[in-house]
Amino acid sequence: MPDSPALDVRGLTVRYVGTVAVHDLDLTIPAGQTVALLGANGAGKSSVVNAVLGLITPAAGAVRVLGRTPHDAVRSGCVGAMLQHGGLPGEARVGEVLDLVRRSYPTSWPLDDLVVTAGIDGLLARPVDALSGGQRQRVLLALALAGAPPLLLLDEPTSAMDVEGRRAFWTTMRGLAGGGHTVVFATHHLEEADAVADRVVVVADGLVVADGSTAQVKARVAGRTIAFTATPGRRLEGLPAVTGVTRQGTTVTLATADADATLRALLADGGLPDLEVRGATLEDAVLSIVRDHPIGAAR
Amino acid sequence: MTPLFAFQLRRVGRNKQFLFFTVALPALFTVFITKIIGGQMGDAAGFQDVAASVMVSMMAYGALGAALGATIRVSFDRASGWLRQLRVTPVPQTRVVAVDVAVGGLLTLPGLLVVALVGRFVNGVALPLGTWIALVGVLWAGSVAFVALGLLIGWSLEEKAAGGAIGILGVILAALGGLWWPVELFPGPMQVLARFMPSYWYAEMGRDVAAGGSPAVLTVAALAAFTAVFAVLAVTVARRRPLHAVSG
Repeated sequence: MPDSPALDVRGLTVRYVGTVAVHDLDLTIPAGQTVALLGANGAGKSSVVNAVLGLITPAAGAVRVLGRTPHDAVRSGCVGAMLQHGGLPGEARVGEVLDLVRRSYPTSWPLDDLVVTAGIDGLLARPVDALSGGQRQRVLLALALAGAPPLLLLDEPTSAMDVEGRRAFWTTMRGLAGGGHTVVFATHHLEEADAVADRVVVVADGLVVADGSTAQVKARVAGRTIAFTATPGRRLEGLPAVTGVTRQGTTVTLATADADATLRALLADGGLPDLEVRGATLEDAVLSIVRDHPIGAAR
Repeated sequence: MTPLFAFQLRRVGRNKQFLFFTVALPALFTVFITKIIGGQMGDAAGFQDVAASVMVSMMAYGALGAALGATIRVSFDRASGWLRQLRVTPVPQTRVVAVDVAVGGLLTLPGLLVVALVGRFVNGVALPLGTWIALVGVLWAGSVAFVALGLLIGWSLEEKAAGGAIGILGVILAALGGLWWPVELFPGPMQVLARFMPSYWYAEMGRDVAAGGSPAVLTVAALAAFTAVFAVLAVTVARRRPLHAVSG
């Protein structure tokens, strides 16, 4: 079904004993998008991923993956996934595991290219038990890619990686999007969402609280920050529209709801050496969005 | 089914401990116990009886150890997250379980065959060819009881507990089921207890065949009942395991 969205989630509710992890969530992801599911631990990201993969049975709602049920989509090889608690079998070599998974799909990613894409060069002959955390995660990525599936679901794919490994991984993910794959990844790294995703879905307390391009989500925070070097005696009180002041050595950072008004007042009061004005970061945006949705408010 | 089957077989084959406990150890026991007990027999016929009985016991011991050892590993694969990983590949769940059953069943064969060969060529057990084939066949088929028991334990217990259970269960089944020494030497209450061990009926089945007959109906029925109970419990436990749980 070429016209079906890669992912179509309607009214998804996931309950565990005593808690509601996902609350009547709707989410449609057209084919070809790279989407970050962003949220704090416990926000419901993994529950969404697990429901999409058919690993949990939702209390309510419908999930269609490329027009199929989660179970059928997985069985037919439409989906590749990196799970948060997925793992590799002991007493096996990386190459053997990869071969097994590749052969289970109707089509498979050419091995040479897969090795390069996942960054597991030189690891094929290695026993699984001898892998480092980062290597293990890259092997798990290779397993997710093994069948060259149209939809990739990655649940916190970089959690065991160092900064360098994480950046290399982002490059890989951008490459996948370029190759026409739909990539949905859960993360609590704002930087990761900003670097990779062309759409960010912010999940808090089992609800979608923001959904749009990174620029749109950032725009949800109207404020700007103004930074400059200030002499110690500089008066910072009573400036119009300022919502927060931080001092770090001689550098002053002001958060403002109206940059225009604040700047005018500052200039009237003296110079502004090393002036820097910038919009909200994705982090600012998400923090402010999540602040508006305190845990428990959805009930 | 072939790639997953070959994959699983290779993994168990790498485990030297497994091969030692399910092939080498029963073969060594067969030689030693026969020498010790058989040597006390005055005549050749007495030695022959002992040699055949010890051989059947050790075939049973090796086979049940192999069946348990191969299938309890499902607990390790759950703990490592590999079973979850397999769930998000196109490999059907029914195949994953079927392969575990098949691997457990197949891996009882090396022990059965090696111990039979040791019995024949080292201890000089003389049986007609048809009886040899029937003996291996019956013990092979009967090992399904321990495949079911191993899966039940593998699905019920967490990794460490399951690892410990292999050893303890092997000892209990062997000692109380009369595989290490004949049940006739047990005191009365222990002889009753032996009949509550699937291993006892399993070895009895082999002894009936080695004696040239076919297994008694009661023996087969008892082992079948154990198998059915283990299998039903195993399936029940497997169904209850929540898929989303970390170790599920």
